Amino acid sequence: MVPRSRHLNPFSNPFSNEPYRSFYTVEIKIESRAGISEFTGGSLDSILFSGLNAGLTLPYDCATGTCGMCKARIRSGTVDVIWPDAPALAKLQRDKGDILMCQSRASSDCVLRVPANVVKSTAVSLPRHGTGKIENCIMLTPDVMHFELVLSAPMAFDAGQFVVLSTPSLEGGRSYSMVNFALSTATLEFVIKKKPGGGLSEWFFSADRTGLDLSIFGPLGRATFRPLEDRDLVCIAGGSGIAGILSILEHACANGHFGQHKARVFFGVRTLADGFYLDRFARLAAASRGALDVVLALSHEVAAAPFHPDFKEIKVAHGFVHEVADQMLEPNCEAVSSFVAGPPPMVDGAIRVLIGHGVSSQLIRYDKFG
Amino acid sequence: MAWKKICSVSDVPANSVRKFATGAFSVIVVNYGEGIRVLPPLCPHMEEPLEKSGVIANCKMTCTKHLWSWDLRTLGQQGETEKPLQEYQSRVSDGDVVAMVENEIVYEFEDENELDDDNFFKNG
Repeated sequence: MVPRSRHLNPFSNPFSNEPYRSFYTVEIKIESRAGISEFTGGSLDSILFSGLNAGLTLPYDCATGTCGMCKARIRSGTVDVIWPDAPALAKLQRDKGDILMCQSRASSDCVLRVPANVVKSTAVSLPRHGTGKIENCIMLTPDVMHFELVLSAPMAFDAGQFVVLSTPSLEGGRSYSMVNFALSTATLEFVIKKKPGGGLSEWFFSADRTGLDLSIFGPLGRATFRPLEDRDLVCIAGGSGIAGILSILEHACANGHFGQHKARVFFGVRTLADGFYLDRFARLAAASRGALDVVLALSHEVAAAPFHPDFKEIKVAHGFVHEVADQMLEPNCEAVSSFVAGPPPMVDGAIRVLIGHGVSSQLIRYDKFG
Repeated sequence: MAWKKICSVSDVPANSVRKFATGAFSVIVVNYGEGIRVLPPLCPHMEEPLEKSGVIANCKMTCTKHLWSWDLRTLGQQGETEKPLQEYQSRVSDGDVVAMVENEIVYEFEDENELDDDNFFKNG
């Protein structure tokens, strides 16, 4: 084994408190309930990303330090923490050697215990690192922006998946679901909401970032649409959570799903003026020949008319999006697949509504982004 | 062993979950339309209070926190649910729900030392 050391680089950025890290490979052994797996990772990458890229089914939800799903306990070896303020770190027993795999870089060979079943992935395309150039930043409302990343090589992903975006000027990464869908594409579309203190959001809204590069890792996420699924769809989204749902509807539409099946979409925003991507919904509704029913739920405004003034295909209702869905869904929708995405309280409310309407827990897929 | 009254049947409408204190501990009573069961109040997954997180439809109770779900007719685990529900022996008698609640049922939740345990690989 080659001896390894870390050293401070005298030429590193003097304003960054992160020491220069040299690249070397590390051998990671994962002890999981399903047995032992091993992979070779890199000292510059999180253990989660190296392991996923090596084709292991390591557990995760957010991949960005919030959910705590990728918890592991160090049996031997040392790691560095990438983002010391990651919210889920507070839930860990760090004195016992617990780490978040998404926020840890191995600085030596490591043996980790993971309380899950980790096996070799059967996915066709594994998540990988890449770079995307920011293009087409378009303000959709005063606090919602559309942007695109042009990748150096095309990426294949499932509708509903997300990628982790990062830039050297920010600690940690942030997850964004793709808005578009194509079997393989070099252009990924995203939507981002203005959020003071919200890492990448603040970075995007504080200056024109067109032409700059973002680091990207993906695709990730299991809240995906499977075209062979022979079911009607119910989608409930709040704000920018609509991103993955648009991707799902694009895929379903392109796949002829609406020839046999209906879809109901409940999209929650504050006021009529806060609605966005409505032209896309109108186009999808027209293409689906009546099989797609879209309701814009306004939490802070009473709807003046039951239809959107500019898009007659879109219904408008007053209330929180899960309450509107509760009123408008049939009492027993046992046979539907459903997708939920948005802020945590909305997702919790929507799941209650769906379960209460008889949707099977196995047919609900959700993304809870903080 | 003796039957103890937990509540009246009318206290628990169809498709609802209600929590009741009984002596030193609490139980939940679930009414799934075709019957009633008396259960410990926490989800066996991550200790979520089922009187808040539990939703009943089509005779199935789902903890909406992480979507673990059981068929209340059989207590059968649905989908990816990993642990069974345990129950107190109960019956309906003269409009009351009565149960054998002398000994509290407590689930074994993930032990903080489990990851150091030599039995780790035999679990789950």
